[in-house]
Amino acid sequence: MSPELLAAIAGGTGVMMLAAAVAALTVKKLISAIIITGFVSLSASVLFFLMNAPDVAITEASIGAAASTVIFLWGRGRIGGDDQ
Amino acid sequence: MIRNIAGLIITAAAAAVLFAMAPGLDVPEELHGPAGYYVENGLEETGSVNLVTAIVVAYRGMDTLGEVVVLFSASTAVVLILTLIPMATGPSRPSPVVELTARVLPGAISLFGIYVVTHGHLSPGGGFPGGAVVASSFLLVLLGTTGMPGSSRLLTAVESLAGISFGLMGFWGAMILGQFLNSTVIPGGTPGTLVSAGLIPLISLAIGAKVASELSGVFASYRKKGGEA
Amino acid sequence: MNYTAVFYWSLAVTAMGLVLTGIWGVLTRRNVLRIALAFTLADTGVNLLLVWTGFLPGRGAPIMDGTVSSVVDPLPQALVLTSIVIGVAVAALFVVVGVLASRKSGSADVRRMKELKW
Repeated sequence: MSPELLAAIAGGTGVMMLAAAVAALTVKKLISAIIITGFVSLSASVLFFLMNAPDVAITEASIGAAASTVIFLWGRGRIGGDDQ
Repeated sequence: MIRNIAGLIITAAAAAVLFAMAPGLDVPEELHGPAGYYVENGLEETGSVNLVTAIVVAYRGMDTLGEVVVLFSASTAVVLILTLIPMATGPSRPSPVVELTARVLPGAISLFGIYVVTHGHLSPGGGFPGGAVVASSFLLVLLGTTGMPGSSRLLTAVESLAGISFGLMGFWGAMILGQFLNSTVIPGGTPGTLVSAGLIPLISLAIGAKVASELSGVFASYRKKGGEA
Repeated sequence: MNYTAVFYWSLAVTAMGLVLTGIWGVLTRRNVLRIALAFTLADTGVNLLLVWTGFLPGRGAPIMDGTVSSVVDPLPQALVLTSIVIGVAVAALFVVVGVLASRKSGSADVRRMKELKW
């Protein structure tokens, strides 16, 4: 991959991740925050692949985006209510 | 309001600390530290094509053993605390799409997970991601039904057996070669084939079984009502 | 413009930004599940930063099957593999203890959880 393409993908993904991270902490509904956090983990998996770390990318995708999101969703189911 | 301002000030201080540690403005060119040794000698000494698996299982096996202990204690604590929290309502019946998917997909997903575990020394993967994928297939089965999950005693037994066998394999290396978790106690075949790299595939299998059964036990314990163990 | 340097440093800035967003979230949010989410974001940022320290642009992945001639540093990747799994275990414990505390004190607001002292 050419350096311009790598810089464009990494820069675009980085800006998107930072905006999503701030959004996950400021939206009103808790379910939106949990799903946005899962999306940040998935984008981190893309960044790990760009850094030539395939083991870490597979692990982050399967654990951070799947198991972690499920744990938070179950916790939200037992608390209920949406807050800041 | 005070909380927000104080939070911003502390975050700005942390940002100053982080950016002060940035090394310089040019891109490095050489590997530094013990990485050079691992890259040069990793393939000949352990026989595993995947260097990261060789480091996790063979060179830094003690760290992996500690991590297995941390994972065990955290999952046990989660299951114990979950018996104290009663669930407000029972689980609702899943939609037909989820039910159909939960009958068709888990076989393929767990087959992929077992492939990732057993080929940990040949291609990217290993015990940890493979175990997580197998636990995800168990989660899919759990989401497609409303009843209680299968026997959680079997999951606990598999988890304990996998943990014990990891320790026993380490002691086997200590008895024969005088070094804990030395992976060359079994003669390795040619690197690049499935049967190679000594003890590494067996240890990956133990780690994969342990992670899969632990995460599956945590998912299954969310389904039980409070008060049962 | 040196696009390789832009690529290299944008990765580091993303990782540091995630860590700082996580720290800010832990300090200023009120709901206990939001604090757990901020902690997970900071954990992801730290893992990105650790793998970034071993990354050299232009080299291949550390799989020595003869297709690449020079590889990136495999040691931070091994440590981050462990760290990701521990991170999800800690997040599970965080969520479960937070739910228990919110049941005991009646609301999910951390400012109400003052009676939990001994």
